[in-house]
Amino acid sequence: MDNDMKTTIEKLEKYASSTPSKWREALEYRQENKTWLRYSQRIAMLMLDKMDELGINQKQLAEMMSCSQQYISKILKGRENLSLETLSKIEGALGISIIKEEQVAV
Amino acid sequence: MTFDKITKDGRLWAVRFDENTDNEFIRTIDQWDDVQWLRAFFIENINDLIAYFKISDINIAISDTIEDSDRLQRIILDISPEADLNRIFRPLDNNQASDVMLQKEKARLKRKFGHSSWLRLYAIKLVSGVYIITGGAIKLTATMQEREHTSRELVKLERVRNFLLQENVIDEAGFADYMTEL
Repeated sequence: MDNDMKTTIEKLEKYASSTPSKWREALEYRQENKTWLRYSQRIAMLMLDKMDELGINQKQLAEMMSCSQQYISKILKGRENLSLETLSKIEGALGISIIKEEQVAV
Repeated sequence: MTFDKITKDGRLWAVRFDENTDNEFIRTIDQWDDVQWLRAFFIENINDLIAYFKISDINIAISDTIEDSDRLQRIILDISPEADLNRIFRPLDNNQASDVMLQKEKARLKRKFGHSSWLRLYAIKLVSGVYIITGGAIKLTATMQEREHTSRELVKLERVRNFLLQENVIDEAGFADYMTEL
């Protein structure tokens, strides 16, 4: 690192935020949980498509699923690790199929 | 206005505006991972998406954004002490050949398949190899001035640049050089 770089960084240090950002933890969490997060994002896309088609908003969906609007908002961001119970409620409320049943050979 | 270190050695920073609880880097990345936010954005900008990228399926646009954002996140997470940040950031003005002090820069991804990436991180270059991220945008149009959301990023770049000049964060010689450029 040359002197110019060092001097500039030292000057900027004086303006560093008093509470450190947790950006690295947030990004590492996303990398570690990428596989299920992609499923969550795809489900959110499917739900938003269907909500548009049916003309229902978050509040109405929350009522249909007996949960809070805040929770619906989290699901629609595509960041929730959804339980089977919640997935069934979504399927029932929107009339969509998220988990497709596998054909079992007898 | 304060600044958060993105790399431990202080070569990459992100601005944290007083009105926000976190810095512009993580705030930008949060938007690029939020399906509902992305859907609303692409619905609002559907004409640009079709005109400039020939994409009319919003879910494809959302998936591409998430995929590119993931690559960008890995690049930032993987910056090593030896990495040259001048290879990540490019001058904002494509026609600009020479450096100006506190230059405005952008980080742009190269996609292997399909359309070019529309994701941009914007930064100020303090000195060679030291950058401050001021924000980011989904840039669908040819110029930033054409749309409100990209114009806002220009305002943020200018706000940070002015702050750094006022507070004399750059050294005397650098400041003189900057004045000469003006």
